[in-house]
Amino acid sequence: MWIALVITHGLLAFFLLGAITHQVVSVWAPVRAGAAHFVARFRAVGSANYANAIIVLYLVTAALGAFIYTNYRITARLTLEQGRYWKSFGAFEIKEHLIAIGLATLPAYWYFWRQPLDEADSSTRKLLTALLAFIVWWAFLAGHIANNIRGLGT
Amino acid sequence: MSASSVKKSGEKNSRRFRVFAITFAAVYAAVYYIALSNNWPLFSYGPAVGEWTLFNHAASDGPTMYWYGWIATAAIAAAVVGLIASFVAESLGRKLWSGLAWLIPVCAIAAVFHLLGGYFTH
Repeated sequence: MWIALVITHGLLAFFLLGAITHQVVSVWAPVRAGAAHFVARFRAVGSANYANAIIVLYLVTAALGAFIYTNYRITARLTLEQGRYWKSFGAFEIKEHLIAIGLATLPAYWYFWRQPLDEADSSTRKLLTALLAFIVWWAFLAGHIANNIRGLGT
Repeated sequence: MSASSVKKSGEKNSRRFRVFAITFAAVYAAVYYIALSNNWPLFSYGPAVGEWTLFNHAASDGPTMYWYGWIATAAIAAAVVGLIASFVAESLGRKLWSGLAWLIPVCAIAAVFHLLGGYFTH
């Protein structure tokens, strides 16, 4: 069961990573004219449309991660400690704190992405989005590295 | 109820939620870091034995998890302060700098990196 949950957690994190990356790129480097090539089209998405999906994906991914964490604590973490993978261990420790801090920014993130968007809050909107993107990228990479060290079902 | 009073009520709630959301993000981040660095969880959990205990107590066997407890400590403190602020300081509305919603979390994250930096110099 734990392996299925870890894979599901990874897939949800992957969707979240895609959504937040689309959004952060489109708010920091928006395309003004018609999108001509792949990178321009990537930047040209309607960033406001992603906000609710990102909130739901963040909550579901974090909740599933919090559940799996109980198993990680008594299995995979011991592997990291015994193998003295301190950098990966530390990255995973930081991941849990970043996710926890990111959770509390979601109400503000939702508020500042509400339609119609208030131009007076555009810098806050951009910085909150960048902060969440940093958290999601860190969490994805730290989780991926820790998982690669331990392996599935070993 | 007239359309204008419904609109006014909606704007008032929106101002209140704005104050709550900014305050919640800022207070939560600060309290989370304080709870983490001082180990002040609201409760502890022993995953090997499935044991929940109030505050900071080591599990009877195996490791103890405090992460859920730190989140609970910070969430309750931030919710209380956020609710009080949203009603008391509703008039702050637009005056409350919205940047606090990302600045305090960024500072808390920097402090977490500093606190756990030892893992990267092992």
